[in-house]
Amino acid sequence: MAHCGGTNGSKLFTMVLYMAAACGAIPISDLLDRASQRSDKLHSLSTTLTQDLDSHFPPIGRVIMPRPSMCHTSSLQTPNDKEQALQVSESDLLSLVRSLLQAWEDPLVVLSTSANTLPHPAQSIISNKIQELQEHSKSLGDGLVVLSGKMAPGAQTISSLPYFGGNDIGQDRISKLINFNFLLSCFRRDSHKIDSFLKILRCRAAKMLPEMC
Amino acid sequence: LNTRRAVLFPPAKPGLTSCRSPEKETFTCWWKPGSDGGLPTTHALYYRKESSETVYECPDYHTAGENSCFFNKNDTSIWVNYNITVVATNALGRAFSDPVEIDVVYIVKPNPPEKVTVTVMEDKGWPFLRVSWEPPHKADTRSGWITLIYELRVKLEEEIDWEMHLAGQQKMFNIFSLRSGGKYLVEVRCKPDHGFWSEWSSTSYIKVPDYFHREKSTWILITVFSTFTFLILMWLLHMNRHNLKHCILPPVPGPKIKGFDKQLLKNGKSNQIFSALVVPDFPPATSSNYEDFQVEYLEVYVRREQELVLEESKDLHNSCLKSESSTSDCDSGRGSCDSHTLLMAKCREAKEGERQTDRECSPMRTEAQRRLKDWEEEALNYAHAGIVSLEMSSGRVKTWPSVFSPLPRYSSSPLDQQSSLQMAKQLSLSTSSYLTQPGHSTKEALGQSYWDLCLSSKQPHLLNPPTPVCRELQAHSDVNISSIGHKRAPAGPRSPALHTTEYVEVQRVDNKDTLLLQPVVQGCGRMGGCFQMPHGEVYSKVKGVDSDNVLLLQREGMGEDSCHKSCTVSTTQKPSGCIYTAVPVRDEMATMANGYVDTATMCTLHTC
Repeated sequence: MAHCGGTNGSKLFTMVLYMAAACGAIPISDLLDRASQRSDKLHSLSTTLTQDLDSHFPPIGRVIMPRPSMCHTSSLQTPNDKEQALQVSESDLLSLVRSLLQAWEDPLVVLSTSANTLPHPAQSIISNKIQELQEHSKSLGDGLVVLSGKMAPGAQTISSLPYFGGNDIGQDRISKLINFNFLLSCFRRDSHKIDSFLKILRCRAAKMLPEMC
Repeated sequence: LNTRRAVLFPPAKPGLTSCRSPEKETFTCWWKPGSDGGLPTTHALYYRKESSETVYECPDYHTAGENSCFFNKNDTSIWVNYNITVVATNALGRAFSDPVEIDVVYIVKPNPPEKVTVTVMEDKGWPFLRVSWEPPHKADTRSGWITLIYELRVKLEEEIDWEMHLAGQQKMFNIFSLRSGGKYLVEVRCKPDHGFWSEWSSTSYIKVPDYFHREKSTWILITVFSTFTFLILMWLLHMNRHNLKHCILPPVPGPKIKGFDKQLLKNGKSNQIFSALVVPDFPPATSSNYEDFQVEYLEVYVRREQELVLEESKDLHNSCLKSESSTSDCDSGRGSCDSHTLLMAKCREAKEGERQTDRECSPMRTEAQRRLKDWEEEALNYAHAGIVSLEMSSGRVKTWPSVFSPLPRYSSSPLDQQSSLQMAKQLSLSTSSYLTQPGHSTKEALGQSYWDLCLSSKQPHLLNPPTPVCRELQAHSDVNISSIGHKRAPAGPRSPALHTTEYVEVQRVDNKDTLLLQPVVQGCGRMGGCFQMPHGEVYSKVKGVDSDNVLLLQREGMGEDSCHKSCTVSTTQKPSGCIYTAVPVRDEMATMANGYVDTATMCTLHTC
C-alpha cells in the first residue's frame, strides 16, 4: 500500500492521515506500529524517572507510600491477565488506551510544575523528563485520535478519569517526595498498560506481517 | 547419650532473593533462608495482593525447586502489586523476612531463544552465516502479549572476545566477513520490551568451508602483477648497469704525475720510470748568462717603505724595459734567488702595485730550485721572527750582499741604529741557502752554497731590493746577527770587510745536471769579487751523475787560503783542464744530482 509520506509530528501526522485518506489509506498496522513505538518511549521515560527518583529517596517513604490502588485511574477496569486482555476487542482496547491517556493530561501538568521545585538532587533531570513525557503523551493522543477513526465506533468512547489531587503535592519535603513518587508510579503502570494494549492491537492488525509479532 | 547440649535458637530472618516471570503469565519467587538455629526449620511464603487484605500462602513450593514459590497462571495477576513475605519457623520461634512489593509486569525475564540454527550460505561466491532462532516457547509473542528483542554474539573458536549484534525483533540474522575455514560459535538471547535479558542460548558451532577458489584468483593476480613489476625493475637495472657500477664501485683515480706512465709502471723497471719522470731539459741549458744567477741583494728596513718602493720602482722601471722578455714558469714558489727573475718580479710589482703573490723562479723549475725555495721560506720565517733574533738553523747567517751600491742611498738618512737594523735585515734576508740534503746537520758538512734569498713581494715593506744595477758577487763575512749592531754592511760592491770564510757561488746549473760553481776567492773572481774558501772545506763542482749513481766531480783544487784558479766555467764555457773524478755517490745523494757535494768527505783521489 502506498504511503504518502508522514512524520511523527502530531499535527503533520493528522494532516498526512487526511491526505492518506485521499491518496490511499495508511494501513492500520503502520499506524499502530508508530503508536506503539510512541507508547514504548513513554513507558521507558517513566521507568527511568522512577529510577532517578529512587536514587535519593528517603527510606521512610517506602513505608508510608499510598497504595497504588489509590491511583486516580484505578477505577478503570482493565484486564488483569493475558486471557482477559486477549479477549477484549480492538476498539475496546483502544478506548481503554485513550481513556488512560486522557486521564493523565492534567496530572502530568501537576507533575511538571512540582518537578520545578522538587527537593531532590536530580531535580533538573526529572523536570526535563517530565517535559518529554508531556510531549510524547500529547503526540500519542493525537495519533490515537486518527487511529480510533479507523476502528469501530467503540474506540471513540473515552472514560473520564478525573484527577482530584490538585496542584499541591505536599508541604514538607518528605510528603512532596512521597506524593511525587506515588504519582509517578501510577503513571508508570498506566503507561505500561497503554503500551501493552497497543502492542496487542499491533499484532492483531499485522496478520500479513508475522515478523512484527 | 550425647552429653553435649547445643544452643538452640529461633530461626534467623530469611530473605527474598528474587522473583521472576518468564512470560508475564506466571512467576516464581526464591528466598534464602537464614540460619536455622539448630532446629529443623520450615519456610512459608505469604502474599497479599494489592487491593485486598487477604493473605495467601504460596500455592506451589516445589515446581520451581528448593526455597521457591511458583505462582501459576491462576494465581498470577498483572498490573497488581504483590506483597510477599517469607516466614521461617522452627520449634523455638518464627522469623519474618522483609516484605517485597512486586508487579509481575516489571519482573519479566524470558527464557533463552530456542532452536538456534546457523547455516553457511553464499552470496556471489562469498560465504556468510545465517543465524535463525525461535522465541522461547513459553513466551507468547504471537498475540503480542510479549514483545521480544534479540541479540546474538559470534566469535571464532580461538578468539576471546565476542562480536555482538542487536537483531531487534527479527528472528534471523546474517553475519558476513568470515574467515575462510574458520570455526564459529554463535549464541542468542532475548529481552522483553520492558524487562530483563534472558540467558544466552546454548552455543551453536559452525565451520566455514575454505573458499579457496576465490582467494586463489586473487593470489594469481598478485603473483602475476609482482612478477611483471619485478621484470621491469630488472630490465631497468640492466639498462643502467654502467651507471650503477659507477655509483657503487667508483673507478680508482690514476696517478696524475706528469710524465708518469702507467704502462711503464706495470711493465718496466723502476729506473725507467723515474728517468721518465725527469724533465729532460732541466737544468736549463740555455745560454743564459752569468747574469741570470746574479745574486740580488735585498735590502730590508722598517721605515719609509713607500719611498723606497717608489725609488725602487723607478729603478725597476728603467730596467724593466730591458728584461721584460724573460719569462717565468708558473710554479708558485717564493721569489726566486734568480735576480733576473726577481727583477721581473719587481717590475711587475711596480707596475701592478703591491701584489702579494709569489714571484716566479727561473724559467726552469727543478727539484733543486724547489729545495732552494724551501730554505728560502725557512729563512723568511726567520726574517719574520724579528729583527734581532734572526738566526739560521745553522746558527750562522751567511749573507751575500753582492750588491752594495744602493746601500749608501738607502742608508743615507737613517740613523745608525736603523741602518744597522737594516743591515741586519739585509743580512738576515739575504741568507744563503744550503743546497744539500734537507738535514740540517749536513748543511755545514757539505759546504755552503749561497744563494741569495729573494724575498717574495709578500713583504714589500720589508723588502726593498736594491737596484739591479749591481750584480756583483761579493765576498761577505760571516755575520752573526746578534752582533750586527755595530756592523755595517759593506757600502759598496767591493766591500773590504770580508771575513775569512770562503764561499762558492753557484753560478748556474747546466743542462747536464752540473752545478757550476765558482770558488770565490779573495781578490779573484770574474767580476772582480772573490771569496775566500771556507775553512777547511773543499768544494767541488759536480759534473754529473753517471748511470751507476756516481757523482762526477770537477775538482779545482784544495787548500785553504789559496786562490784557486778559476776552473769554474763561465756561463758559456765548459771547464777545461780539469780532471773529472768519479766519486761514488751515496744513495741518498743520488737524488741530489743537482746538489752540492762536499767532496772533502768523500773524495779519494782527485786532481785538477
